[in-house]
Amino acid sequence: MSEPVISVRGVRKSFEDGRIVALRGMDLEVAEGEFVALVGPSGCGKSTLLHLIAALDRPDEGAIRVAGRALEEANDLSAHRAHEVGLIFQLHNLMPALTASENVQVPMFELGLPGRERRERAHALLAAVGLEGRERNRPPQLSGGERQRVAVARALANEPPILLADEPTGSLDSEAGATVLDLIERLRRERGLTVVLVTHDTGVAARADRIVTMLDGHVVGSSPNDRSAAAPTTRLAASTRVTP
Amino acid sequence: MFRAIVLKNLVRQRVRTSLTALGIAIGIATVLALGVITSGLKASLGEFVTAGGADFMVAQKGASDLSFSAVPEETVAALARRDDVARADGFELKITTLGSNPYFILYGFEADALGAQGLELREGELPAAADEIALGVDAAASNALAAGDTVVFEHRTFRVSGVYEVADTLRRSGGVALLATVQELGNRPGVVTAAYVTVAPGEDPVAVAEAIERDLPTLAAIADVDDYGEVDQGVRIMDAVNLAISLLAVGIGAIGVMNTMIMSVFERTREIGILRAVGWRGSRIVRMVLLESLALCGIAAVVGIALGLLATRAVLAIPTVSSFLVPSYAPEVFIRALAVGVVVALIGAAYPAVRAVRLSPMEALRHE
Repeated sequence: MSEPVISVRGVRKSFEDGRIVALRGMDLEVAEGEFVALVGPSGCGKSTLLHLIAALDRPDEGAIRVAGRALEEANDLSAHRAHEVGLIFQLHNLMPALTASENVQVPMFELGLPGRERRERAHALLAAVGLEGRERNRPPQLSGGERQRVAVARALANEPPILLADEPTGSLDSEAGATVLDLIERLRRERGLTVVLVTHDTGVAARADRIVTMLDGHVVGSSPNDRSAAAPTTRLAASTRVTP
Repeated sequence: MFRAIVLKNLVRQRVRTSLTALGIAIGIATVLALGVITSGLKASLGEFVTAGGADFMVAQKGASDLSFSAVPEETVAALARRDDVARADGFELKITTLGSNPYFILYGFEADALGAQGLELREGELPAAADEIALGVDAAASNALAAGDTVVFEHRTFRVSGVYEVADTLRRSGGVALLATVQELGNRPGVVTAAYVTVAPGEDPVAVAEAIERDLPTLAAIADVDDYGEVDQGVRIMDAVNLAISLLAVGIGAIGVMNTMIMSVFERTREIGILRAVGWRGSRIVRMVLLESLALCGIAAVVGIALGLLATRAVLAIPTVSSFLVPSYAPEVFIRALAVGVVVALIGAAYPAVRAVRLSPMEALRHE
């Protein structure tokens, strides 16, 4: 097997001076191009793990390597966030004062692209997520699903090899959620992305290549996903089933 | 687009941004108006120091105000006898009231020195008798006086012998009379306020001034307005007040900007977290906060300069002020006003910028 694109070894993370332990010796490997769903009950450490892989926070112990780079040795984690990973949150987290196009351009500042190229790239990304013609709309002028699609476009703005999605459909209705999941799957196929997706919804997880189940801060199960056998457990999953 | 983000952040809280900008603008307006007025005043004093083509002026060293300077007439005569001096014309100043101007300056010269003062007669003659005065064109115009009219100073009636034009503002809005007349009005017989000195041909004015100060330690030679503080503490006080008000403007402005920027950064904690999460470096966040602050103070500077110019015009509309002051719109006055804006912006934004960049992305994203 080639070197995993994400490698998490013995990672511990606690909050509030150790009173809340989120991860207890977590291990995980994700291969390049793989689509992994992290599932488990609330508080099991799924989002914390995703945030550590995104370098939004540092672990108390353990090692995380992403795209061959040891995060604990990196001085500048901004570069990792700008170039290696694209993040999608449960809430879209767009800048309300900026237009859809400007929101997508925000990460591109770190690439040093000229304004015209930034605008063209944002236009293409918004077209790819089905929002052509909505470039000048600000988030309050978009529906929940449209906002989340802008967030997907923003996550891909710098063409990262890894997409990290934290409950990306959690705040959407079934139809909007289905659209966003279809979009992530399509973009993953087209761009060869590695995807790590956190979800509560086993139906949503059923779309992944592998489902990693977490409990109390560590992995309790990891199994390849048999898509043909997986039965949708929710209305969202049922409505979003795609034919391979 | 970076600039657009900065401006949109400012526009989001219009009222707060406007009020903060107005506060800074008032500070900048004060600094500008004060600068225009004091540099105008200094320019007038600079003209006065070397009026009539003299190389420098001598007066009593350490006087708190030039009008209190007392130089014995024998000292002026001794100066005139020096080999390195061509002329030494003692003069007496008397500040009195003419019409609505309570700061009318009357200069007294010896009759033979009056002709050497660069006064160009527009009408009439220079004063030749004890009850005659000549008026500067501005003084004559503002009081509707002409040669042949009479004026009253200190309960004495004088005939206006003539009206003259001259380069310096103070004498254009003042008048001249014979030395003995002005000494009598001021009850200061035998002394003069100061003397204009013209050095002998081939002599170096700086060397002569130094020699005079060495030989006559009670005298100070004043070649330009920077030396003026030696014989008039008013200039030093004016400079100190100017500096103090500038510092106050910077201090008050910086606190206002800091308050606004801290609130702005606090309100946008989550957004800053998002920017960090999508890869913005800390230095870019700092730049964003600093640019917001600079844009805020830039707007304030433009408004402040406009307000300052209006305030200056309002002050100069007072006849007593315009009689001795021509405003100086020197570039350094505007540079100082702009510098206040920049310093306020940088000081005010420093802490909020550091605070913004110190937040971990995760902490910022958790912020509600």
